[in-house]
Amino acid sequence: MDEDLAHFSIDQARKLGASYAEARLESTTANSLVMKNGAIEASSFDHFGGIGIRFIVNKKLGFVSTNELSKNKIITILEKAIRITKATKTMGENISLSKERTEKARYEVKQKKKLADIGVEDKISLLQKAEKAIQSTKVKVPSRYVVLSDTDTKEYFTNSDGSRIFAHVPKMNFYYFLTINANNKTTQRYWVYGASGGWEQVEKWNIPKIFSEEVTSMNNILRKGIKTPQGIMPIVCGPQVSGIMAHESCGHPFEADRILGREAAQAGESYVQLAMKGKKMASSIVSIADDPTIANSYGYFLYDNEGVKAKRKLLIKDGKVNEFLQNRETAFQLKTKSNGSSRASDFEKEPIIRMSNTFMLPGDYKEEELFEGIKKGIYMKNFMEWNIDDKRLNQKYTGAEAYLIENGEISTPVISPILEVSSLKMYPAVDAMGNNLELHAGDCGKGEPMQGIPVTLGGPSIRLQGLRIK
Amino acid sequence: MKHEEITQFLLEELKRKGADDVILQLGSGETTLIKFVNNKISTTKTWESTNLSIFATKNQKIVTSSLRTFDKETAKKSAENIIRSLARMQPNKNFKGIAQGPFKYTKEQDCYDPKVEALNEEMVDMVKQAIDTAKKKAKRSSGTLEKTSAESYLLTSNNVEAHERGTGLYFAIRTLIDKNSSGYGSCISRMKNKIKIQEATEHATHIAQLSKGPKIAMSGSFDVIFAPHAIAAIVDRFADNASIFSVESGLSCLKNQLGKKIANPLVTIYDDPTRANGYGSTPYDAEGTPTQKTSIVEKGVFKNYLHNASTARRYKVKSTGNAGLISPRAFSPVLKEGKYNKEELFRQVKKGIYITNVWYTRFQNHETGDFSTIPRDGAFYIENGKIKKPLKDIRISENILKILKNISALGKETTQIKSWEVDTPTTVPYTLIKNINITKPN
Repeated sequence: MDEDLAHFSIDQARKLGASYAEARLESTTANSLVMKNGAIEASSFDHFGGIGIRFIVNKKLGFVSTNELSKNKIITILEKAIRITKATKTMGENISLSKERTEKARYEVKQKKKLADIGVEDKISLLQKAEKAIQSTKVKVPSRYVVLSDTDTKEYFTNSDGSRIFAHVPKMNFYYFLTINANNKTTQRYWVYGASGGWEQVEKWNIPKIFSEEVTSMNNILRKGIKTPQGIMPIVCGPQVSGIMAHESCGHPFEADRILGREAAQAGESYVQLAMKGKKMASSIVSIADDPTIANSYGYFLYDNEGVKAKRKLLIKDGKVNEFLQNRETAFQLKTKSNGSSRASDFEKEPIIRMSNTFMLPGDYKEEELFEGIKKGIYMKNFMEWNIDDKRLNQKYTGAEAYLIENGEISTPVISPILEVSSLKMYPAVDAMGNNLELHAGDCGKGEPMQGIPVTLGGPSIRLQGLRIK
Repeated sequence: MKHEEITQFLLEELKRKGADDVILQLGSGETTLIKFVNNKISTTKTWESTNLSIFATKNQKIVTSSLRTFDKETAKKSAENIIRSLARMQPNKNFKGIAQGPFKYTKEQDCYDPKVEALNEEMVDMVKQAIDTAKKKAKRSSGTLEKTSAESYLLTSNNVEAHERGTGLYFAIRTLIDKNSSGYGSCISRMKNKIKIQEATEHATHIAQLSKGPKIAMSGSFDVIFAPHAIAAIVDRFADNASIFSVESGLSCLKNQLGKKIANPLVTIYDDPTRANGYGSTPYDAEGTPTQKTSIVEKGVFKNYLHNASTARRYKVKSTGNAGLISPRAFSPVLKEGKYNKEELFRQVKKGIYITNVWYTRFQNHETGDFSTIPRDGAFYIENGKIKKPLKDIRISENILKILKNISALGKETTQIKSWEVDTPTTVPYTLIKNINITKPN
């Protein structure tokens, strides 16, 4: 990686009139293996990289990128990009960045078993074991679509403030989509696993076990599931559900750029207002964190893509709005400091405010203790269909694996229970928090062009009271 | 030229080293995007890249890769790596080979405009005009103007060599009267003189104005008029279902439906990447088969899955010219127009709902077609054909096959839609659908 090219780009941007410039050099190797219905469909290996340069000229913000790493190309694209950015002089918003510490760092995620040493044969063998695990359950699974992929990214960031950061982060991802058939009915389930680190992380997931448990549970739901009783009743949600809640109705609406309207034409704005800071919005046992520094997590980083040191943020603390996700642009506008939440999915994209690992903090209860005292309720272990409106208020989670809770215990499986609820009603309804914190992987979309970015979403099992199940 | 020479060199290297089928797609392009927020331009972005996508097979084993450094030494190494990878792979017994050329291509109409390619600073003025138009009636507006120019060169081991050049302009705007009253408009064109920015802006502003004032939440079964942005999101998803790859993966409601009546006889849906000035138009697919208009639903009957050469051989049909490098896909779905103007559609609704835009469409079960999607921007309660009240907090909780059966009237004008929610440019009219299940939150 020619780090001098990044320095050259900044010097060049400065020469062309930029008051601030930053450059991000990226080099990524990527592998993926697709298996469909037991047959290996295709494998792919790739190497890509390039440079993304962001600058402020006459107080206006611009960005340019190329995958041709030559000085001549950088000069040409910068000249053109700076010309159009300067042309926004009467229409452009004046942009300033918050003053942050200059950082110099090099960091790397260690791999106990290096991804580079894992051959495609090993990956095929793992997926075939998973296939056998499904077969051994005797459950009918007519469609099985799985993708096992990994990336090894080296990134060098530098800016005109003097920050210089090198990061080397390998990540891996496992996606599956299964169709289970019984009694002439089907049910479907998809999920994602992701981590940073080496192949040892993939081994920890135990993919064959994930598959045999998943298809056995879903087969049971199909065969024995009853229609979900409707009405107001206690609901216990498993970690995958509390995780998606934390992501959708806390993480996104707490992004300061959404609050300020910067994503209005894309992912939308937010129900959260700046004036809500310090106000109570959830029951006091609810705290939600966003923390990129968790070792081996899928959303891991130690410095963000503006060179700011990453840290744990508490978005909701003891039920109160505590902190928003900030980058240097929103931090300047809101007269605060960035909390290191700026990320770009790759060198071709501008860094924008993103989540990392967002999760509800666990409480003291064992999961089974959450069922105690419930005469009749619903346990939604995981979900399939979900969505939320563009202000992040009106959300819906439809259970995949779900059960009745009767007299304090899990009983009959139920088909597709629906929780359709406003964020402002949902968070105050949480009355007990489990201690079984899990972090699950996801690819979160935002921005234009769309930037899909690795995150985790998580939480413990939680109990909610007074909400309607449909 | 240099890049094409390297592409040809790579093909020879791969063939020499024993590859059976090879597809090489050389693409280079530049995109400039202006993003505006709250009546001001917030950033300008330009990204450009040149990339050679590689698909190679040997004994039914498939490997894909890419090349971004264009010299003979790198190409040679790439060929060696691909052949080594192929040796370590397992065969895909379902793979039946790529398309056999040569082919003749029809020249695309209105898909390249040097005036679009030359745009740079002038884009700022185009955005300014839109913001100024919106400002007359709306408090603030946000959106993007994006310009793309791209060239591609396709070379395969099976006698295909083809060139394509295209441009595109995409504009999207959301205008807001207040925090809860917004409208959305977007437009696309390959040609500069056909982009309708003013019209999209006025539409967004009109919807925002209509949605002013207190809003009510409703639930139940309603006749719903879908504006083009809203129905396009559903037709786009439906067209994905027609890919044979989706069917085999469990991602389609069209399994075992060939030849069956799946929609109201008013409904005709096809994929047409041959349309003039079509944003999804292309003369050939990823393996060089000429694209064509392919009927998906004709007068309510499901007619064709979308195929590439390999899947077509397996199912003993002809390729529909919808190949991607791995799986077939729709390029430019169209829901055919009907006979009513917008006012006539509204007059057919006694008590119903008008939905102008949706987002976040997610499925509980792709095979049964159970899904939900959320209206965003203006949505309205209609009584006797007239808009009565803006709505809030509603959701469409439905089944895609039921929706197709319940389409009861179609507008006579169509618009090609691409938006933040609609990935594949999709052409649709205003559409009236009976008995749509509307839900609301706790």
